[in-house]
Amino acid sequence: MNAIHVEGLTKTYGDNEVLKGVHLDILEGEFYALMGPNGSGKTTLISILASTLLPTSGKVEIYGRRPQEARDLVGYVPQSNFTIPNLTGRENLIYFARLLGHSKAEAAKLADDLLARLGLSEDAGKRVSAYSGGMRKRLEAATALFPGIKVMLLDEPTTGLDPSARRRFFGLIQDLRGEATSILLVTHLGSDAELASRVGLIDGGRMIGQGTPEELKEQSGVENVISIETAAKSERAASALGQFSEDGRVLETDGGYRLYSRDYERATPEIVRALDQVGAKVLKVESTAPSLDDVFFKMTGKAVSELD
Amino acid sequence: MGQIAGAMERSAKELIRLKESLFWTIAWPSIWVVLFGVTFIRNQPHDVLPVLKGAVTVPMMVFALMIAGMSNLPATVSNDRERGTLAKLMSMPVSPWRDFLGRVLGLLSFSALAVILVALVGYATGARFGLSPADLPIVLGFLVVGFAASAGIGTVIASLITNVQGAIMTGVGLSVITAAMSGVMAPYSSLPAALQAFARIYPISSVNSSIIYILFGVDYAGYKPITIGQVATTIAASVAILTIGIVLYSRVAWRRR
Repeated sequence: MNAIHVEGLTKTYGDNEVLKGVHLDILEGEFYALMGPNGSGKTTLISILASTLLPTSGKVEIYGRRPQEARDLVGYVPQSNFTIPNLTGRENLIYFARLLGHSKAEAAKLADDLLARLGLSEDAGKRVSAYSGGMRKRLEAATALFPGIKVMLLDEPTTGLDPSARRRFFGLIQDLRGEATSILLVTHLGSDAELASRVGLIDGGRMIGQGTPEELKEQSGVENVISIETAAKSERAASALGQFSEDGRVLETDGGYRLYSRDYERATPEIVRALDQVGAKVLKVESTAPSLDDVFFKMTGKAVSELD
Repeated sequence: MGQIAGAMERSAKELIRLKESLFWTIAWPSIWVVLFGVTFIRNQPHDVLPVLKGAVTVPMMVFALMIAGMSNLPATVSNDRERGTLAKLMSMPVSPWRDFLGRVLGLLSFSALAVILVALVGYATGARFGLSPADLPIVLGFLVVGFAASAGIGTVIASLITNVQGAIMTGVGLSVITAAMSGVMAPYSSLPAALQAFARIYPISSVNSSIIYILFGVDYAGYKPITIGQVATTIAASVAILTIGIVLYSRVAWRRR
């Protein structure tokens, strides 16, 4: 059964077409990640599903209902920190639970239960302004875990969290959601998307690929990736690495570069030499399995994450 | 009802914990009450001082209502818009008018507290109000009418000005300017004819004059505002402003683009 059905969805702002005929089906209970760079249209898509934006054309259904008629089924976690900083964590959850129609006593019980399950009981009485980024993200996710919610819409929920906090966050969400609750995660982080059962890649307002993380990697044809960590990055270093990449493209990462090569053993000493010639100090070279970031880069020539 | 009560509780708690709203709504009018009492009118004859102090405390109580409605309300709505709370609310099964009603009732609780505290500061500095039990419901009724007009103006600001600082400053500015122009902050009798006409139409000023008239008489009010025509105009103008606010709030602030 489809929890979410999107067919031929378009959204335009003046002359700017942000979504260009998106098709998407998400099954009941499925964890689906929509991955794309900034400006790809992913936040617009999730905002239409959350009924904060209206589509220009196309069909959008949540359990067969228009998004505005299905708001009782949706738990939307926007990208921004939307909880109220002057209220405590508990007061925030009670407020949002009451907006869903729960009585004050029920809302208080639900809030206490969720705070305990999210490991926030000790800080329940603290104002949210005193919460750490991770605590606030967990609290905000809790507003999408109330009973009756069947579709969680998470827009970049781990922004600002370190990798281990991100893993813990998704572990908790997976544990706490009901079996029939579907998750649509919008992200630009391949490592977050890897946790989903199915991933859709979006670029320029179009879906450019869809499948399990393994299927996408297989379809992309990327087999081996050489990851190079350097003391500093430069255009000369990136250009020097181009010759070792099978398709001539080099992906910049936070700590260096990634490129595709079938012959790691042969390429490694040459890479070190080439970088040395352009004055780039190599810290580490290793062969790694391809990630979804590599898949996206292979398909579009664009890095999915914006780099500093 | 649960949604409205939840929004009301949230709004009241948020306002009472915001230092800015505490300062502008409670401390600032109270400071003026004290200043009036110890400086501007201290040389007046002793027998009229308590009444004079009462007559300057009432406008500051009304001014607290103005700041609460015109500045605090837009501040909370703009904050909600800026940090994504409004987007979250729009994704939930909540109607704009329920959210609005909850917010306004929360603001009403906070405003009532502000008015009481400003009145107590006035009383502590020697103001006397001569309020009879029979007059109390009428005075409270006028305060509610004044609150409705302030909240209506505040909702219009909240709907049209999206920036938080812009909304706050517009609210404070509009409160101060209209209070000065309409005789809330200056005696009605000292206003030029055009502004006296404005004072009679502007519901908040009319509320202020009505309360002063009930408590202290026509000499302090400057005119007789308790007439059927004047009271009807005041109530109608307040209801109209509030209605415009609600319509703009649901159609502009909650607009799905």
